[in-house]
Amino acid sequence: MSRQVKFIAACGAGVNSSHQIKDAVEAEMRKRGYNVKVDAYMIKDVNEDLLSKYDGYLTIAKTDLSFTPKIPLIDAGPILYRIPAMAKPVYDNVEKVVKEIN
Amino acid sequence: MNGIINFANSLFKPLIDMGAATIMLIVLTLIAILFKVKFSKALEGGMKLAIAITAIGNIMNMLTTSFQKPMQQFVQHTGIHMDMQDMGWAPLATITWGSPYTLFYLLVLIVLNVVLLVLDKTNTLDVDIFDVWHLAFDGLFCVYVGAPLWLSTLLVLFIGTMKIINSDLMKPTFNDLLDAPEGNPMTTTHMNYMMNPIIMVFNKFFDKCLPWLDKFDFDSTKLNEKIGFWGSRFAIGVYLGVFVSLLAGNNFATEEGWKDMFTLSFVGGSCIELFSVIGSWFIASVEPLSQGIADFATKKFSGRTFNIGLDWPFLAGRSEIWAAANVLAPIMMLEAMILPGNRLMPLGGIIAMGVTPALLVVTRGKIIRMIIIGTIELPIFLWAGTMVGPFVTNMAHSVGAAIPAHTMVSDTTMEGPVEKYLAYLVGNAWKQHGMFIVYALLALAAYLLLFMWYAKEMKKRNAEYAAAAKK
Repeated sequence: MSRQVKFIAACGAGVNSSHQIKDAVEAEMRKRGYNVKVDAYMIKDVNEDLLSKYDGYLTIAKTDLSFTPKIPLIDAGPILYRIPAMAKPVYDNVEKVVKEIN
Repeated sequence: MNGIINFANSLFKPLIDMGAATIMLIVLTLIAILFKVKFSKALEGGMKLAIAITAIGNIMNMLTTSFQKPMQQFVQHTGIHMDMQDMGWAPLATITWGSPYTLFYLLVLIVLNVVLLVLDKTNTLDVDIFDVWHLAFDGLFCVYVGAPLWLSTLLVLFIGTMKIINSDLMKPTFNDLLDAPEGNPMTTTHMNYMMNPIIMVFNKFFDKCLPWLDKFDFDSTKLNEKIGFWGSRFAIGVYLGVFVSLLAGNNFATEEGWKDMFTLSFVGGSCIELFSVIGSWFIASVEPLSQGIADFATKKFSGRTFNIGLDWPFLAGRSEIWAAANVLAPIMMLEAMILPGNRLMPLGGIIAMGVTPALLVVTRGKIIRMIIIGTIELPIFLWAGTMVGPFVTNMAHSVGAAIPAHTMVSDTTMEGPVEKYLAYLVGNAWKQHGMFIVYALLALAAYLLLFMWYAKEMKKRNAEYAAAAKK
């Protein structure tokens, strides 16, 4: 099996939106045959050191960071709309990153 | 009639006796099935909710038992009457979802949203099912104070209507704050933003009288970076343990005094972290139902473009929210100590997420204004939290949290504090009549008029955005 690709998702409390994204991305990638793990965090805890441990950052909207991330940023906000057609491009972008890594 | 009541009792009594967790396992599973969620998914959600309710009760028990004695000593030692423990939002959300009435209010609010969409009074489709607990809490509190269910439902509908209208009003500001295109569907119906009208009053004052203050705005991203882990949840739990031990008069000449302080600190830190973990379980539990309701609504309104009402954190990427929250945390601690009538010791709610998002929206990220207005409005939250303490404690007991006798729990930065006062007045107006009827009517009228003024201001702001986009 290909190596596990790790993403980070972050929201206000690290409890709600980030977990919705985590569950949705992990389930969809499993369906597409990839080994993807997403960790959910509180957005205030996201820093350069933390991001360096991940292959991609699933953002909800524009995020103020004091540094330029070295990993790909994917806007995963549309997953929260709960409309499958709007979530699909997000999954496609995640898949692209996963394929590049494997 | 008696026959029917006896039959209903014989049917439901054994179920009610099983406790809140079991009731919600059954009720949530059934409602999800009603919205055509697959049985296994519906059951998974129901089980997760039952486990979340059970777990949150146990953690509340751990926290309150550990803090009970030092808090009593704290009160005796200092004379400051802060005997309520601040749990933050997660336990409150979970115990509110432990009431089947929350599902009733959810159903009512779905109908309201559909009616407003059909009548073209809103463009917002609210998919943030999880945060229904804020309004359900108001409804339940109103009933607790003395109102019948129908009156509390009217109050929930009244506030719910304004909440949805507010989401349309805020939409262009969200695009501005997120630098998002016109087609971005993100908005929110979160209760946090019902503080906007009050904040708008202060913001107007700053516009007219103190506009020079804005030039002192600082780089919030850098401040957050400097604060680092010192502002994280677990660290705050630890500080509280140290703080309570100091003011409780621990004897630090003995090993026992130090040991007690460290134990209390680590219990505080671990409980705050665990509240979030359980919070995520509880959110996962309503996930199948949320998807079922969203599928249902989009199918019924196929072809129509919606604003999608989400939870508030899509704005959490704005660093001003956290910079203001970090600065407001010690300010809240000080205010809590000296505020007359406050009985809440800040702990779980000290990272003021219920306060700062609305400040960001109204001031559009002017950080000094956010901090000053936040400081002014924090007492509203502390008093509301104190007022609902007996109700929250009662609810916590009803879902099985073994909180020690004479210990009360609540939340310092509970979303929608003003609505708690409305629920209190409406409940008392029904129960006690007299002047409470006058107070309730005046409060409802003031709330509505302030919202109407705020709506007018937001429409002006939105017209400016539209004009700027045309240029």
